[in-house]
Amino acid sequence: MADLGEHSDPQARTGPAPTGEGFGRFLVAVYGLFALAATSRSAVQLATDFSHAPLAYLLSGLAALVYVVATVSLARGDLTSRRLATVAISIELVGVLVVGAASLLLPGSFPKATVWTSFGSGYGFVPLILPFVGLWWLRRTR
Amino acid sequence: MTGPYATTITVVALVCAAWTLISAAANRPRGVALLASGLVLEVLLVGFAIGGIVQMAGTDQELARGEFVMYLLGCLAIPPAAFVWAWGDRSRAGTAVIALAFLITPVMILRVQQVWAGSVG
Repeated sequence: MADLGEHSDPQARTGPAPTGEGFGRFLVAVYGLFALAATSRSAVQLATDFSHAPLAYLLSGLAALVYVVATVSLARGDLTSRRLATVAISIELVGVLVVGAASLLLPGSFPKATVWTSFGSGYGFVPLILPFVGLWWLRRTR
Repeated sequence: MTGPYATTITVVALVCAAWTLISAAANRPRGVALLASGLVLEVLLVGFAIGGIVQMAGTDQELARGEFVMYLLGCLAIPPAAFVWAWGDRSRAGTAVIALAFLITPVMILRVQQVWAGSVG
């Protein structure tokens, strides 16, 4: 990831390709769906019984934030948004791997599910695949 | 919350999803029919939401009411949002976005039913 400069690429465009068109249009829709799912899940959890499982619920909130930021920044697709999307999706990747592994190794810490629990098995493992696709798409369109 | 009406929505959504996926795969340009199918589904969902809220108001059963209403509104919000976003892209990607919205609707209906039954915490 060291070489992010466009100038080193002989076929460099004047600017990056938009991230919200073509396949990106579909990808943003998937991210939007997860933004909706994670936001509503964490809103319900935080509002109803935060004290029951604070760690899991805070992680739900983080996941929601990450998905919202990724959705909006991928849809916008300007240079700042691309950086923001890269950060958000990287956090997403780390989140799903760490929370996924931790929820299997230390099930006691996660009495309540988050989007990332068991690598997103409750969501057809899409949360596990999504960050890889997102990062691939950002590289592909840069 | 279960029963023939929910089943109808599920079947309509799945038929629309299949047809939309075929359209996207065949790279057919989108047309009025796609818009009409989305409109039909949305009207069905409005009926589902109204029916759900009326039923909720008339019951004493233990129920996560806020969550229930949120899922009903979520169902309603998805097709219009998908159409708005999809309409900006004339390629098959736009059609695929609408197919995704159709595909997710049965899942949302199922979640609504689970919240109604009290099995989602």
